[in-house]
Amino acid sequence: MRAYIAGRLAAAVLVILGVSVVSFVLTFLTGDPAEIMLPPGATAAQIAKFRADWGFDDPVFVQYWRFLKRAVYGDFGNSLRHGQPSLPLIAARLPATFQLTVTAMLLAIALAVPLGVLAAMRRGGPMDLLAMAVALIGQSVPNFWLAIMMILLFAVSWGLLPTSGRGGIAHVVMPAAAIAINLMALLTRLVRSTMIEMLSEDYVRTARAKGLRELFVTSRHALPNALIPLVTVVGLQFGYILGGAVVIETIFTWPGVGLFTIQAILNRDYPVVQASVFILATAVVLINLAVDLLYVWLDPRIRVT
Amino acid sequence: MSSEIRRTLTRRDALRLLGVTTAAVGLNIGAPALAAPTGEVKIGLAAEPNTFDPHLTVGRNTQIFIANVYDGLTARDGQGNLVPALAESWKRSSPTTWQFALRRRVKFHNGDDFNAESVKFTLDRATNPETKATISSELSTISATEIVDPYTVNVVTKTPDFLLPVRLGELFGLMLSPKHTNAAGKEAIAIKPNGTGPFKLLSWAKNERLVLEANENYWRGAPSVKTLVVRPILEDAARIAALQAGEVDLIAPIPHVRIAELQRNDKLVVKTIAAPRIFHVTIDVRKPPFDNVKVRQALNYAVDVNVILKTLYFGHGTRLATVVDKGALGYDPSVQPYPYDPNKAKALLTEAGFPNGFETEFDSFTGSIADHSKPAEAIAGYLQKVGIKTKLNVFEFSAFGPRRVQNQTSPLFIYSIGDAYLEPSWVIRWLTQGGLGMHYKNPRLDEMLTRIEATDDPKKRAPQYSDVQKLIRDEAPFIFLYQADAAFGMSARVDYTPRPDETQWLYPLKLKG
Repeated sequence: MRAYIAGRLAAAVLVILGVSVVSFVLTFLTGDPAEIMLPPGATAAQIAKFRADWGFDDPVFVQYWRFLKRAVYGDFGNSLRHGQPSLPLIAARLPATFQLTVTAMLLAIALAVPLGVLAAMRRGGPMDLLAMAVALIGQSVPNFWLAIMMILLFAVSWGLLPTSGRGGIAHVVMPAAAIAINLMALLTRLVRSTMIEMLSEDYVRTARAKGLRELFVTSRHALPNALIPLVTVVGLQFGYILGGAVVIETIFTWPGVGLFTIQAILNRDYPVVQASVFILATAVVLINLAVDLLYVWLDPRIRVT
Repeated sequence: MSSEIRRTLTRRDALRLLGVTTAAVGLNIGAPALAAPTGEVKIGLAAEPNTFDPHLTVGRNTQIFIANVYDGLTARDGQGNLVPALAESWKRSSPTTWQFALRRRVKFHNGDDFNAESVKFTLDRATNPETKATISSELSTISATEIVDPYTVNVVTKTPDFLLPVRLGELFGLMLSPKHTNAAGKEAIAIKPNGTGPFKLLSWAKNERLVLEANENYWRGAPSVKTLVVRPILEDAARIAALQAGEVDLIAPIPHVRIAELQRNDKLVVKTIAAPRIFHVTIDVRKPPFDNVKVRQALNYAVDVNVILKTLYFGHGTRLATVVDKGALGYDPSVQPYPYDPNKAKALLTEAGFPNGFETEFDSFTGSIADHSKPAEAIAGYLQKVGIKTKLNVFEFSAFGPRRVQNQTSPLFIYSIGDAYLEPSWVIRWLTQGGLGMHYKNPRLDEMLTRIEATDDPKKRAPQYSDVQKLIRDEAPFIFLYQADAAFGMSARVDYTPRPDETQWLYPLKLKG
C-alpha cells in the first residue's frame, strides 16, 4: 500500500512538471507582458529595452529553466503585476476557492442523492420524470447565464442576497448554486441509474425476501453500494469544478484562485500563472489520489497488490 | 486666481473672510473644508490598482486611482486644466531645466515632511534602472534632480521637455517619503502606501475590497467623506446590479448599452465624460496605394462614423475630425470631420487609379481595455461598399502587441491611444514615431510641433494646434474615428462629478443631506 502511494506521488511530480511546462509555453506563445505593463505612450525602442531588462526576449526554454531553478526551492518569483511573491498570493486565495467549491459539491450531493434515489425507487413515476427534467435542465443551463439571472432575481428584484463579493454565508449561496447545478444534474442521473441497477441485484431480492422493510432495504443495502461510483465521479469532477469556478468567481468577483489566475493569464503575469498551476495541479492530483484510497476503503473487494 | 479675488473683494467680504479664517485657525483646521469628514461611501469599480507603488503601476486603471493616496507636483482641476499641487509654481530656467517651488508644511500620512529631498528621492527612484519602473518610459527625459534649497528643486532633462510639469502630475509624479520608502522596502510600498494625498489606505484585501480613510490634515483641506470602501466588481452586470440593489453608491464604468436604462431609473444618476481615448485606424502610408493621399482621404469619406457611434456606442461618444481629442489643449472644433460620402470616396479612388477598388488587410484585436473588434468590423463593411475588400484579422491583444513591436501589422489596423496628458503634440509624436506600425512622417508637421513644444505657456500653445489639426485632417494618415464616453453611475445619496481626464479623483465626493 505504501509503495502504491509513493508511486502515485512520484507520478504526481511528473504530472505537475508536465502541466507547468505546457502552461509556461502556452502563455509565452500568445505574447509577452511588456506592452501590457508599459504605459500606452511607450515607443518601440522603450518596449524593446523593457523586454531586454526583464529577460522576456530570451528563448522560452531559457526562461523556463530560470523559473524552474528557483521554483524547486519554492520561489516562484514575484508577481509582475503585484510586485509580491506569487506563491503566497495564490495560497492566500485558497480558502475562498475551497469554501466555494466544497459548498458547491455538498450542495450538489445533498440534492442529487435524494432526488436520484427517489427517481430510482419510483421509476417511470412522476418523481422520476421530475428528477430527470431537473437533471436535463441542470446539465443544459449555462452557469454564467444562471449566475446573472440569479443576481437579477435574488439580489436586485427581491433584495434577498448580496450581488457579489465575499462576506457572510449569504454571499456564498448564489456562486455555489451556479457551480453546483451542472454537477447536481450529473450526479442525479448517476445515482438514479446505479440505484436502479442495485435494486435489481440478488442481495436486494434476498433482503426483501427476509421481510425487511423497503426503506431499510434501500437505505442500508442498496444505497451504500450505489454511492461508490459517486465518490469516483465527484473526485474526477473536482478539476472541472475548479474550472467552472473560474467563470463564476469572475462573475461574482469571488476573491479565489480562479479569479486571480484568470487575471494573471490575461496580464501575462507568468510567476502567478505558474504558482497557480502548481497549486491547482497539486490539489487535483492529491484529491484524485485521496479518492482512489477512499475507494479501496469503501469497497473491500478492491485491493491493491 | 488670487488677484481675481482681490479685485472683486469688498470691505464686507474681506471682513467676513477674515472671520471665517480666524474661526478655522481657532478650530485648528486651517483648511478650506470646515467640517470634519463623516460617513461612508461604497464604490464598485471594474478594476482595482495592481499596486500602490507609483513606479510599478500597470495600466490606466491603477494610475487613475492611486492619486487618491498620493499627490503629484502638479494636478488637474475639474475642467482638466493643469494646476499647482505639491509644487506651487514652476518655470523653465533653461531649455533643459525646470525649476519647481514646493509647497511648505505638507506632511505625509505618517507625519514625515514633504520637501525637496522627497522630490529628489522619488525621481531618482523612478529613473533608477534597478527600480525597473514600469513608468520609466514616461520619465525617460529626466537626467537629474537637484536640490536648490529645502523647498526648491531643479529637474534637468536630457533634451528640452515642455511636458515635464504634466508628467510630474498625478500620472507619473506621485511623491514618496524617502524615510518611509527606504524603511518599508519595495514589497511593502505596494500594499502600504504613505503619500500626502487626501486619503490613507486603511486596508486592502486584493480582489475583495480596499478601504480608504480621509486624511484630516490634507493640505487642500480634509475630504468631506470619512471612509471609502472600494470593491472591485469585474462583471458589468454584477456591478450595475450592486448599484441597483443599493449595495454601492458609485460605480464605474457602465457599458454604453446599459446607460439609457439606468438614466430612466429615477433613484440613480448617470454622469458621463468624454474619455480621452482616441480611436483611429492607422494607415501604413509607406505601402501603395496608401502612399497616395487621395486613397487615404477616400477611406475617410467611406466610413460613416456617426452611425458607428449611434449603433455601437448608443450615441455616447464624440466624432473626432483628427486624432486630437475634445478635452485636449487647443482642440479646434472648427476643423470639421470628413463627412460620410461614399460617392466622393469612389471618385477619389478613381482619380487615384483604382476605379474598382483594391484588396488589403485590416487588423483588429480583442481583450484590451476597450472594444476594438466590433468597430473594425463596421469599418471593414463600409470600405467594402466603396470597393475596398479587406481581410479582417482579429488578434488577442497580447498577441497583437508583439506584431506591432515587430512592425508586422497590416496596412490598416485599428487602435486607440489614451491622451493621458491632454496634449496633442504628445499624441501626434507617438502616432508618428516611425515604429509600432506607425510610419507617417511630415517635415512640416514636425516643424510645427517643434515650435509648439518650445512654447511653455499653455495659453500660447493652444492656438498653434489649429494648423496642426488642419494639416493632419487633410493628410489623412489615419481613418479618424471618435472618442467614447465613460459613464459613472451613482445613487441619489452621493454628489460626484467625474473629471474629464478619467482620473477617479474622489476628493470632491460628497454625501448629500
